[in-house]
Amino acid sequence: MSKAKAGLLQGTLDMLILKALALGPLHGYGIGQRIAQISGDELRIEEGSLYPGLYRLEQRGWIDSEWDLSENNQRAKFYKLTRAGRKQLIIEEQNWERLASATMKALRAN
Amino acid sequence: MSRVKQTVNFLYAWQHPDEIADEVEAELSFHLQMRTHDNIEKGMTPHEAKLAASQSFGDFDQVKLSCCEIKRGFPFDLRRLRMGFYIAIACIAGGVSLWAVNIPHHNLFSVLWQLVAIAVLMRAFLIGRRHNRPHSD
Repeated sequence: MSKAKAGLLQGTLDMLILKALALGPLHGYGIGQRIAQISGDELRIEEGSLYPGLYRLEQRGWIDSEWDLSENNQRAKFYKLTRAGRKQLIIEEQNWERLASATMKALRAN
Repeated sequence: MSRVKQTVNFLYAWQHPDEIADEVEAELSFHLQMRTHDNIEKGMTPHEAKLAASQSFGDFDQVKLSCCEIKRGFPFDLRRLRMGFYIAIACIAGGVSLWAVNIPHHNLFSVLWQLVAIAVLMRAFLIGRRHNRPHSD
């Protein structure tokens, strides 16, 4: 799949954000970078859409945030996964695996 | 995040919309600064880097507005609150029903109350069962 065409399915962004934060607290910019890194640079989040996603997840209580100093000594808002978020990530991963396996089954059907 | 913190954040967002807007703006500006910095490291001029950062981010004001609206949104699941409301009604109806049963001479009023209580309890049970069923995407 070409990188230009590797768009995100609906609902995938939440799972990717949770996954990125499962590896440790990060600011918004770092989350985008980490998603690109862990997907081997195949997935690029639309930068503007990342923030509404983060605010939605925080509203649901899956992530928490606090202001702190970034690596270049600037004030930045850092996000971390909550216990509820960790549970949600497990559910999202299971749903994703089920969906991917069902889709593959359908595609391989004669 | 605890329910208490969610409630406090929700109330704060309604009481201090300007502070929330400033906070969102500071966060988004930090993102643009980081992207500009990375673009400069990739060899762009400061002007090009800033322009490219702004283009890759999209509509700054629209994103800011969306974030502020989400922040002011009700943080709890309305379906669960509705379920809680039905359960509360069912408890009240049950209590009144018990009181009606204790009336010395059973009359039409007490029988009617018991029927209403049973109907409300059944409704609460059915709604609770429907909302606790796992979602299928």
